[in-house]
Amino acid sequence: MSTLQQLREAFRTALDLPADAPVDDLQYQDNEKWDSLAHMSLIAALEDEFGVMIDTDDVINLSSFQEAIKILGKYGVDISE
Amino acid sequence: MNLLHPGARVIDAATGSTLSEADVAAAAEALAGEKGAVVFHPISTTIADIARYLAAVRLGRPVVLLDPDGDNAHWSERFATDEVHPDLALLLTTSGSTGNPKLVRLSAEAVRSNAEQIADVLDIGPDDVAITTLPLFYSYGMSVLNSHLVRGATVILERTGIMQRDFWTAAVEHHVTSMAFVPYQYEMLRRLRFDPAKYPSLRKLTQAGGRLRTDLVTDFSERMATVGGSLYVMYGQTEAAPRMATLPPARLAEKLGSVGVALPGGHFEISADGEVLYHGPNVMMGYADTAADLARGDEMGGVLHTGDLGRVDDEGFLFITGRIKRLGKVFGVRINLDDVEKHFPVTAIDGGDKLVAFALDATADEVRELRTKISEWLGTHSSGVVVRSIEALPLLPNGKVDYRALESSL
Repeated sequence: MSTLQQLREAFRTALDLPADAPVDDLQYQDNEKWDSLAHMSLIAALEDEFGVMIDTDDVINLSSFQEAIKILGKYGVDISE
Repeated sequence: MNLLHPGARVIDAATGSTLSEADVAAAAEALAGEKGAVVFHPISTTIADIARYLAAVRLGRPVVLLDPDGDNAHWSERFATDEVHPDLALLLTTSGSTGNPKLVRLSAEAVRSNAEQIADVLDIGPDDVAITTLPLFYSYGMSVLNSHLVRGATVILERTGIMQRDFWTAAVEHHVTSMAFVPYQYEMLRRLRFDPAKYPSLRKLTQAGGRLRTDLVTDFSERMATVGGSLYVMYGQTEAAPRMATLPPARLAEKLGSVGVALPGGHFEISADGEVLYHGPNVMMGYADTAADLARGDEMGGVLHTGDLGRVDDEGFLFITGRIKRLGKVFGVRINLDDVEKHFPVTAIDGGDKLVAFALDATADEVRELRTKISEWLGTHSSGVVVRSIEALPLLPNGKVDYRALESSL
């Protein structure tokens, strides 16, 4: 599985979305399933999946799927097909 | 009843707008033109919705605070009436989405005295600034609002949460002194490596809405101590408008595990079968199952049977040791465990702010499906539900399920 696929899976699981739900354009404010509880699950999933420890500032800045790619990049995780 | 002290301020962090006396007057005028005695009020964290709430309370119109994202038609169908008891001021829902939810009937006297009692023990004054961290239809969120308004303090309205940048920016900009959280939010704050030094005005954290693990109590109390602030552990139920006890921060370390002493004007009693009874001016008038119940007067006589088991030490500190009713909590929302068992082929227990459901010989797929279905039914995130497959349930000699054994297996 590519890292992009892994990231999509992590989002779907944390946000209780169906297996084929599109997630690449997700934004925190726009999606009702993306609340604070889902956010906590998501951060835990990203940390487990990619073996990183995400800083406080990055946790609260991670407000979209695309932002997640950028933030993971800072920790040396390359998200690609 | 007027909850709005002339010095109180309510500021919307996102728009900068503030609540004025004119807003409340306009809301009162609008209400005067509405039919029916009861005001059904899906309340969002906005100036307009707070104005409507305060106006209803001021006019003596009983107001039902509802989840603005919920399906609320059934409330007005069940409870619309012109016959209401003159003491009745506020109606709150008892549980989440399960079963047949009732309304808690609160008098103006109960709401007012609880706001004052809380303000006393938390020492809330005109310089205090609270920020919204909980929905206002939830009794804890409502009591944070009330207890600050009656003392001329400030309430900052923030619709984002602790996982979002805007919340923390607003906390700094508006010099927030006080934040209120339920247990799962403390778990989140720990994950965020919450550091009170980043918010120089912050002095008080309060906690209610279920039992907070003692290691987190100690942890957050110590974090607050580094900035000269405090953690207030509290105990309440919607039925008590809602606060019953607070643990004085100075006694927290020595009384770890206690939910504190009764609020001024209240006291605890332990019944012969070990149930915690609370006596105080803030106890509800009773429940309402139908519209006709809204005409009833006080049926409690100031005594609340909490359904909790506990003990009180010689200095009056209450320790909760268990529950009589089969109730659980998921992310601070009360759920009836028997209802879960009626709807799903599982045996349900409380796993500490999580629901733990045991399914007999379930496959991995069945476990996953049950978890999805139960969390959807509860209207909660799936991380609040744990489903486990079990070969056989532990039984008591009388053949009933041994819930204690299940609980100790967690």
